[in-house]
Amino acid sequence: MWYNKCVDLLTVSVTARESAGEPYTLVEIAGEADVTNTDELRRLLDEEVSQQPRTLIIDLSGLRFMDSSALHALLRVNRSLDRQGGVLALVSPQAAVAKILRLTTADRLIPVFDSVAEAAAD
Amino acid sequence: MARDGKTAQRESAGQEALDRQPVSRPDGDGPLPPSDDPMSYTYTTDLAAIRAVVHRYALEAGLAEARAIDLTLAVSEVAANTVKHAKSPGSLNIWYDEKEIVCQIHDEGVITDPLAGRRQPSLDALGGHGLWIVNQVCDQVEMRSEETGTTIRLHMNLPRSDAGH
Repeated sequence: MWYNKCVDLLTVSVTARESAGEPYTLVEIAGEADVTNTDELRRLLDEEVSQQPRTLIIDLSGLRFMDSSALHALLRVNRSLDRQGGVLALVSPQAAVAKILRLTTADRLIPVFDSVAEAAAD
Repeated sequence: MARDGKTAQRESAGQEALDRQPVSRPDGDGPLPPSDDPMSYTYTTDLAAIRAVVHRYALEAGLAEARAIDLTLAVSEVAANTVKHAKSPGSLNIWYDEKEIVCQIHDEGVITDPLAGRRQPSLDALGGHGLWIVNQVCDQVEMRSEETGTTIRLHMNLPRSDAGH
């Protein structure tokens, strides 16, 4: 039940978009992602992965904080998409999020872009 | 005048630190040095609140923003272990002097691997990044784990306050 209290720290919204005729899924994650809401984050992301998108773009610009358990959720998405022939891209991480991506070298595994438009055009 | 007063204060604080005597700890004498008058918090799953507190004190102590973010991340990772593994609340104590800021996290969980967090896990690993990150961002990490629980102290050196004088 503790979970309910923490889940409002995190907002996830999903939209289907198109760039130059190519569809992609845009997931915006805002708030703070940590071990107390990772299960929910993972469930929401798994749902999108199961739709088998060619391109999944996660906009991190509204995410103030991410811990290693949330990072694992992203790495899991990357692995699943990779297996089914899709691509994951991350957009605009804030300082704290950029730091954990860099420290763990996750930013070398998953491409990081400055804007959604850039990520969609790639 | 104001500057002189401030300098004198700093010196006396430094002297006090030198004079500080070890105090006995209820959990016995261990490798961790004692502290006096720390700011104390208890947490269960309210990690965002803990992060806010750490970030605030880190800036107040004089850490630059990027290093304050590092310390906040480190404390959050350690506290996340409490949420994941310990069956009881954790406690956080923060204190700083002119040299460093220290965050001590204690919970009733037990870490059995003495090298926990010392090796970089692969990105394929589905866990184990937490303590490794802690060791990367902090200037010093002390860990003591025994049957009754685990105490982890995270140290961050402060920039010299007399720089430029």
